[in-house]
Amino acid sequence: MSFTQDKEAKEAEEVLVRELQAGNLEAYDKIAELYQKKIYALSFNLTRNQMDAQDITQEVLLTIYKKVDTFQGKSAFSSWVYRITLNAAYMRLRSKKKEPNVSLDDLLPSYNGAGFQQEKIQDWSENTESLLFDNETKETIQKAVDQLPEKEKVVFILRDVEGLSTEKVSEILDLTVPAVKSRLHRARLFLRKKLSHYFEEYQSRREKK
Amino acid sequence: MICCKECLDLLSDYLDGDLDPKSSAALEEHFQDCPPCIAFLNTFKTSTHICRETLSQVEIPEIVQVKLKEFITENTRKKA
Repeated sequence: MSFTQDKEAKEAEEVLVRELQAGNLEAYDKIAELYQKKIYALSFNLTRNQMDAQDITQEVLLTIYKKVDTFQGKSAFSSWVYRITLNAAYMRLRSKKKEPNVSLDDLLPSYNGAGFQQEKIQDWSENTESLLFDNETKETIQKAVDQLPEKEKVVFILRDVEGLSTEKVSEILDLTVPAVKSRLHRARLFLRKKLSHYFEEYQSRREKK
Repeated sequence: MICCKECLDLLSDYLDGDLDPKSSAALEEHFQDCPPCIAFLNTFKTSTHICRETLSQVEIPEIVQVKLKEFITENTRKKA
C-alpha cells in the first residue's frame, strides 16, 4: 500500500470510529467487516482451535461495540483492537492446560570459544516448496510455532505472519523497538532449528532413495 | 573478520534492512568465507518464509462467518 493510500485508509477508519462512537450501527458493521478476519486469524494462530477463535472473535467484536467510547485515539484504533484480541486470547489460554514449555535457549546456535559455529549446518532451503502443501509439513510448521514461548510467539505472529511493522508491534505490546527485535530474532532462530530437524530428515530420506 | 556469533546475532537486522552499510558489508564478507553461515542464512530465511506462508492462510470458515453475523445482529440490534 502506498503512503497516500495508507493515509486515506487511516482517515476513513478514523471517520468510521467517530461515527460508531456517535452510535451509528452501519459504521459498526463496516468496522466488524474490516476487522473480523484479522481478529479471527490472530486468535486462531494463538489458540489453534476453531471454537476458541470463534468465541474470542465474538468477544472482541462485542467489546468494540460496547467499549468504543473508552477508545481515546492515543494509539491507532487497530492497535486497540489487537490489544483487546490478545487479552481475550490470553484469558482463554490461561484456563487451559499448558503444554510444557520448550526451552528457547537450548535451540539457539552454539559456538566455540572463538565464536564460530559448532554444529554442522545442512542447507535444506531448496527443498521445501514441494512439501508446503503436504499436511504433515503443515502440521510440523504449526507445531513449531505453537511451541514458541508466549512472549516470542506473539511477536512472531504479529510481525512476520500478520506483516505488521516493528514499530506497530511495539505500540500494541507496549514494548521498546529493540525488545521487539530481540524477541523476533529469538523466535526465528527457534523456528529455524525446529524445522531443521524435520527438513534435514526429509532430505536424508530422499538422498537414500 | 567478524565471527559466526556476531554474524548470526545480526541476521534479523540484516534481512530486515536495519543494519548500517558498514555492518552489512562485514556480514557479507563473513558469508563469503563461511559456508555454514550461508547454510544458516538460507535456512533461516526459508523457515520464516514457510511459517508465514502456512500461518497466513487462516480464513474464517463459512459456518463461523454465519455465526458471527448472527451474533452481531443479535447483540447490537436486539434492543432497537
